[in-house]
Amino acid sequence: MADVELRQVVKRFGKVEVVPGIDLKIRDEEFIVLVGPSGCGKSTVLRMVAGLEGITSGEILIGGRVVNQVSPKDRNVAMVFQNYALYPHMTVRENMGFSLKMRGESREDIATHVAEAARILELTPYLDRKPSELSGGQRQRVAMGRAIVRSPDVFLFDEPLSNLDAQLRTQMRMELRKMHLRLKTTTIYVTHDQIEAMTLADRIVILKGGDIQQVGTPIEVFEKPANAFVARFIGNPPMNILEGVFRICDGKRFVEVGKSVFPVPDGRGAVLADGAPVLAGIRPDSIKMGDSIEKLPREWWCRGEVVVSEVLGGQSHLEIVIDGENELIAEVEGRVVAHPGEIVPIGFEFDRMALFDPETTLAVD
Amino acid sequence: MVLIGVFVYGFIGNTVWTSMTDWGGSGSLALDPEKHFIGLDNYVDLFTGFLSGGFRQDLVNAVYYSLMLLGGAVGLGMFIAILLDRKPWGEGFLRTVFLYPMSLSFIVSGTIWRWLLAPQGGVNVLPTYAGLKPLHFDWLSSTGAVLVFNWQHLFSVLLYVAAFFMILLGLWGMRHDPRKAIRRWLVPGIVVGAATWLFGGLLPDALFMEEEHGFNLATLGIIIATIWQYSGYTMALYLAGFNGISQDLRDAAMLDGAGEVGYYRHVAIPMLKPITISAVIILSHISLKMFDLIFAMTGPDNAETGHPALTMYLTTFRANDFARGAAIAVVLFLVAATFIIPYLVSQYKQRRRG
Repeated sequence: MADVELRQVVKRFGKVEVVPGIDLKIRDEEFIVLVGPSGCGKSTVLRMVAGLEGITSGEILIGGRVVNQVSPKDRNVAMVFQNYALYPHMTVRENMGFSLKMRGESREDIATHVAEAARILELTPYLDRKPSELSGGQRQRVAMGRAIVRSPDVFLFDEPLSNLDAQLRTQMRMELRKMHLRLKTTTIYVTHDQIEAMTLADRIVILKGGDIQQVGTPIEVFEKPANAFVARFIGNPPMNILEGVFRICDGKRFVEVGKSVFPVPDGRGAVLADGAPVLAGIRPDSIKMGDSIEKLPREWWCRGEVVVSEVLGGQSHLEIVIDGENELIAEVEGRVVAHPGEIVPIGFEFDRMALFDPETTLAVD
Repeated sequence: MVLIGVFVYGFIGNTVWTSMTDWGGSGSLALDPEKHFIGLDNYVDLFTGFLSGGFRQDLVNAVYYSLMLLGGAVGLGMFIAILLDRKPWGEGFLRTVFLYPMSLSFIVSGTIWRWLLAPQGGVNVLPTYAGLKPLHFDWLSSTGAVLVFNWQHLFSVLLYVAAFFMILLGLWGMRHDPRKAIRRWLVPGIVVGAATWLFGGLLPDALFMEEEHGFNLATLGIIIATIWQYSGYTMALYLAGFNGISQDLRDAAMLDGAGEVGYYRHVAIPMLKPITISAVIILSHISLKMFDLIFAMTGPDNAETGHPALTMYLTTFRANDFARGAAIAVVLFLVAATFIIPYLVSQYKQRRRG
């Protein structure tokens, strides 16, 4: 159990700056997910915390202790790798007990700890098998078992679920969450999958080009993205972002996108002047159809033409065109039946609309 | 298939047949030499004949030679591979340097090492560069021998060796599964050892007269030369193996607290067991076939450094005793088979299981 702190951590490989300097405080018992597109430096950050990668400058603290010069084995962190990195010549039992054996613990202690971890992870029947005789999900569990037997201060996960099929991934996601609720060990989890990030994290850290774009709870980063990148990256289908102009007319404030007019509720975009260029972000799930538009004010309604519809069962993804020119992706309830070519009434939750500065792409309050 | 059948298995059969005849002596080169079937007489003579002591020494030489070559080349090759695996500066260059001896012909390296190990030059004068007295060790012509045993007691010696290895295996197995180790190896090992010590006198003598064989020091030079030539090869095998181990596994071992030594000891080297086995097989059959290096270093007629393959050549083509030569060849073939067949069987079993 420990908190982790990164202070102005910089990583360069030769002349290439992978991480230009990040600050991050991870609280004790917190589940933090680092998410970003590939090459954003998230794995590098994880490896720096593990001590597998040196840092060019800055400080990393684990439990209040500066660990820049501490070797990986003395940091008391455990890591689960994408390809599990199980020792192929050892049985499951030996794999899980290896770190304890290296620490010089007695045979009885190792046996107790391994048995306990195997019980939690339901691996007891497989203890004498080799990794090659296990399925992907079981290997994944062994890798987790290897991490938990040592009761480390910090768990590090490097895309641990990306080699599993979709169903197993969902199941393991649940188990990971349960395991964290039970063990409460501080966890840093790296993934490129925003669904994993949303479902697992206490707080999400969104990275791009080695820079932190936003740190926040899943709801915060979803509803209040700090910039257009975060807005596009989090959420599936991604946020609709349209280029428009901010207008103030007769005391009413709105964004003009071509022929369409999106009203801006009071308190939003206060710093914007009339005629300022702006990016309007609309979440697909803030577009409503069918009965649910009744709850929205009349002036937030319009008509749109359905171009394509993807029925997923629980919901449907629709591509719609409003005012004959603006294409939007909408996520509506599965009960709503919409056929391509149909003109339907739609409603927008404009109070959830996000505004971004087109120059800096930062969110405008 | 037909060609392999004729040129490999047909000729093996022909050799076995020849080894059971009396083809040799005067008239053996006649166009149609007289051959008579004499059964296993040639073999009996090789192992017990009064005049075949040279062959028995050759066999002993071959055993010591194989063991030391295996230990030396595998150990040294692994050591260099571990050093290079740390990715030192100039790794690619060093790798070529270490592998280079392999590309030399044995005749060439034999000649080089003969010069290096000459009594008044090469290695022996090295200390003089540091102001010390030169060495006087006769690398290739020493007549000394260590670990001498009497061929008469061959059976008891073999039993002692077997008991020693069983006890060793038992002690090693104690760490994993003490009960099984004691039952399977330790107790039988001690029993065999004690029984040989108590009742060894009852074992039949392998020979009717005393005949001493040992590890001839003169073969040391040859062993050094072969290790020099082959450690680069084992290094290449191990280096390829080490490079094939994923970085994640190494990282995992580091996080598990293995450290560099622990990583190689517990993870990398056990994982490369198949490579070790193939290195042992390849080196042991090379050591059994060793001919040209010895020919170049000490000449064909140096009894101290004799080797079965060399003797086979001399018996067959110089003494024209084709039948005896064939018998030596068959003995060599059987010895090689004892190395390779267990390997093939275990491979086959593994494939069946996997």
